[in-house]
Amino acid sequence: MEKSTDTSLYLRVNKQDKDALEELYDRYEKILFSFLYKMLEDKGLAEEALQEVFIKIWRGKGVYDESKGKFSSWLFRMAQNTAIDLIRKRKKPTVPIEEASQMVSNDEPVEEQVVWQEKKTQIEMAVQHLSAEQQKMIDLFYFKGHTHETIADMCDIPLGTVKSRIRLALKKLKTSLHGMQERGAYDD
Amino acid sequence: MTNIDCDYLVDYLNGTLTAEENQQFEQHLTTCTECQEIVEATGQLPYLADPVEPPTDMKARILSNVFDETVEQNDQPKALKPAMSPIPIHKKRRKENVWKPLLAAVLLMSLLGNGYAFYQLSDQPAGTETAIQSIELQPNEAFTGTATAAMIEEEGLLNLVVQADRLAELEASQVYQVWLIKDGKPIPAGAFSPNPNGEGASYYQLETTSEEWDTIAITLEPKTGNELPEGQIVLSSEI
Repeated sequence: MEKSTDTSLYLRVNKQDKDALEELYDRYEKILFSFLYKMLEDKGLAEEALQEVFIKIWRGKGVYDESKGKFSSWLFRMAQNTAIDLIRKRKKPTVPIEEASQMVSNDEPVEEQVVWQEKKTQIEMAVQHLSAEQQKMIDLFYFKGHTHETIADMCDIPLGTVKSRIRLALKKLKTSLHGMQERGAYDD
Repeated sequence: MTNIDCDYLVDYLNGTLTAEENQQFEQHLTTCTECQEIVEATGQLPYLADPVEPPTDMKARILSNVFDETVEQNDQPKALKPAMSPIPIHKKRRKENVWKPLLAAVLLMSLLGNGYAFYQLSDQPAGTETAIQSIELQPNEAFTGTATAAMIEEEGLLNLVVQADRLAELEASQVYQVWLIKDGKPIPAGAFSPNPNGEGASYYQLETTSEEWDTIAITLEPKTGNELPEGQIVLSSEI
């Protein structure tokens, strides 16, 4: 049987189809959890954020349609926003309770792992095309959820230019990702 | 105009636009290839994360909470397992009305100063196992108020009733916030403001048992809805 697309699953979720939500959950659990863990550095918080994301989807709080681009990008953005909310709510950074190294698993389903690894390699290469400052800015903006003020401080740039610098960094990221696609290194 | 819309990109990505601006930007996205492509490229950043194995029982927990939310219309107070952090405050006290009689009864009994009667009363719901624990909270040095907490366990739910008196008046935005704490991790468990007589009470229901907590504390918070304490602890006790 052909695999349902994310969008068709999402449409079923809109009709309160629990199986469809479960399938979406299975599809994205690991990448979302890993991503949220990278952002929040705490397993409990990552779980809380992940739950919040699926509650939002289930209740139809965020609305997706294909005009907004790929479903995964939309989902990741929602997860990233949810994590930022959590980061900003707690003033102090959390202390990781468990050793991250203990949590990295070695027995992945092969296919999932391969796809992930490919994308990871590709985006890592794209990131390497950025200047050190741009890399730092993306990390602070995207993964750490820092405010523009903090980013201005940490990157030692004027507050007024933070936004345009982030945009520039993301634009360059896009361009180098595209460059790789055109060379056939990327197949989505 | 296009430039102004493109300027929204960064705020769009970190979710700081208002609903209206968001909609406006999404409209812009349908016509601006560059912004579209940047959004898509950004959407691949999560793959930079190193694979981390999710806890095996996480799926069951999350899905049951997600589906529960719908049934409960999202506002029954529900603390997650202690490992999971504070509950969003908007979920609090939906069953307040249902429990008002209990709260009223607890207050009445407490006024009578008869702990035993309270025990009997709370035992009334027939056929369910009920465990009750009453706790006197100790004030910190500077605080003059007193408070008692009753933890009533029933069918896997913990009902926490807190009653306090001799409370100082608060400024408009302040609130007394009750917390349950395990290993230094607090979750909000009810809040109250004193009435003109300096009395206050809260009721909170959680999916947990009293054994899961080691401390109960009340803080004076600068505002309602805090999910982690900002203010000073004014009353507390071990459980």
